Amino acid sequence: MLRHLFRLIWNRKRSNLLLLSEILLSFVVLFVVGSILINYGRNYFRAPGFVHANVWRLNLSAPPDQDGMPRPVLDEVLRQVRALPGVQALSLGSGNTPFRFISSGGSFDRGGREVRFASYHDADDDYLRTLGLHLREGRWFRASDDAAVRRPAVISQLMRTKLFGPQETAVGQTIRSKDANWEAGQATPTEYQVVGVVDDVRESGDLSSNEPGIWLRLVPHDTTHWQGAAVLVKVAPGQHVALQQRIVRTVAGTTRLWNTQVRTLADDRLDKLRATLGPLAALALVGLFLVLNVALGLFGVLWYNISQRRAEIGLRRALGATGAGIGRQFLLEVMLLTALGVAAGLLLAVQFPLLGVLDVEPAVYGWGMAGAAAFILLLAAACAWQPSRLAARVQPAVALRED
Amino acid sequence: MQPTTAPAPAAAAATVPPVLRLTDIEKVYQTKTIETTALNCVNIAINRGEFVSVMGPSGCGKSTLLSLMGLLDEPTRGTIEVDGRPVTSYSDRELAALRNLKIGFVFQSYHLINDLSVVDNVELPLLYRAGMGGKERRQRALAALDRVGLNARTGHFPGQLSGGQRQRVAIARALAGSPEIILADEPTGNLDSVMGEEIIELLLELNRRDGVTVVMVTHDEVQARKTERIIRFFDGNQVG
Repeated sequence: MLRHLFRLIWNRKRSNLLLLSEILLSFVVLFVVGSILINYGRNYFRAPGFVHANVWRLNLSAPPDQDGMPRPVLDEVLRQVRALPGVQALSLGSGNTPFRFISSGGSFDRGGREVRFASYHDADDDYLRTLGLHLREGRWFRASDDAAVRRPAVISQLMRTKLFGPQETAVGQTIRSKDANWEAGQATPTEYQVVGVVDDVRESGDLSSNEPGIWLRLVPHDTTHWQGAAVLVKVAPGQHVALQQRIVRTVAGTTRLWNTQVRTLADDRLDKLRATLGPLAALALVGLFLVLNVALGLFGVLWYNISQRRAEIGLRRALGATGAGIGRQFLLEVMLLTALGVAAGLLLAVQFPLLGVLDVEPAVYGWGMAGAAAFILLLAAACAWQPSRLAARVQPAVALRED
Repeated sequence: MQPTTAPAPAAAAATVPPVLRLTDIEKVYQTKTIETTALNCVNIAINRGEFVSVMGPSGCGKSTLLSLMGLLDEPTRGTIEVDGRPVTSYSDRELAALRNLKIGFVFQSYHLINDLSVVDNVELPLLYRAGMGGKERRQRALAALDRVGLNARTGHFPGQLSGGQRQRVAIARALAGSPEIILADEPTGNLDSVMGEEIIELLLELNRRDGVTVVMVTHDEVQARKTERIIRFFDGNQVG
């Protein structure tokens, strides 16, 4: 019977083509949306690698017409904010604080192994404590690093694995940053000394994947050229707007030339989450529309099929098919047609991991394909159920007389 | 060795039940407002190897009779027996199996599936026969097509055939399952006289050579006279 149905579908390929194309397209969209969702879901349940609760972002910026941020003024601002009741720790770093829409990255290599993109941060000696990073190997930066020959660096576990493998010691080793000038032979590579390894940090948001990360010790000897400074402030639990206002007033008490903004990392996190989910929701909506189209298409084609094929149903019953057998045949036909569309979609979907289109782990692609295939097949079965039951109830004597 | 006694021919014939027997059959179609009696008190016995014609004007119940004989419909009253066994209480599955094994259908409008090739159409009843492999199905279908002289058209589609050829395919399909009875509902109704004659000759040959029981609904008196018996209907009543 299966071969017979395949032959029937093949011989009706022209009339089935539109539906097949719709199934294929829906499968691909579902696969993409599904893979992204699965990837996001997996990421959501991964440890972020830092603690954002009770950490605020204090952004200081000097107007463009001023002479940047003189170091003595910056130090005084930081000292006064640190001294405020409710402030537990404070760290000066680069502007790409967690959950922000700013990213800095660079290529690094070591002994023939290379990381093409590593998220790059400047961080001072209090960064680890302020953001609650978890040290796996070595140590964080300290005052004695002022005397270091090479700029100290702490790398994430993922970066450590990529540059040193699982066995080799990372702490104490030297890595180099690669930039375009160096690759063109026009500059000497900058070398950094690895002093520690921390757990992976997913700073781009709850849904982001692990990325190799590197923190370089901030050496703010001369900050006169700075136009802005990002400060992470860890506060005691229960601190709210009152402390935020005190911080703003404290900065203003030292210098009235700088602009001050205080935001919680929790707010930044929500902003990032909304911005990430927005496009996904739009894509999911397109997927939903396509799925609805397929459902209506399948339903419509089946209704049409049954009304057009009543004589065939009558004939098959006359030749020995049972009513239930007719229902099964119609259901199987739809499932085979859907399976063909899904198979064609799978051929397309396997190109995604080969070309690295979605930048997710290979297993996620597999789950995405399985999920999309299962969804489409279940949808087809659900749409075919009622029309197939109707086909099973067609009275053969009546159907044969109609033609 | 004990001597065996063969039964007398007359006694043997008496014990063989008709292949089809309809007793006190009544068929009423009922809607909310109208009740239509299609058949009224019909009593027919079709013996094995007979070629019977059913005649009557349009709407007299001939096709309804054929549907009942083909176990495609249930009578409102009365009993239908196949080989002496009443089938009134048979389940859908049992009736389907009986149709598949014992009955072949030939329709006025052929009822071929246009998206299947000639040989695939002929294979159709064998698809519903449990335990029959694809190779055997194909062999039997080809043999049936050979029997009706269409072995050169096996890969054609119904749309590529003439009316007479289509009806031959339909007969081959009925033959493929080696049925004991062929029920033909106006098999020449859509054909010209020459092609109609060919089809009747084919049915006669099947009846005479292979012993297939044939019940044929027809409007054509000339064709009917070629059969062994004519059953006449008028307004749902058996009149002869």
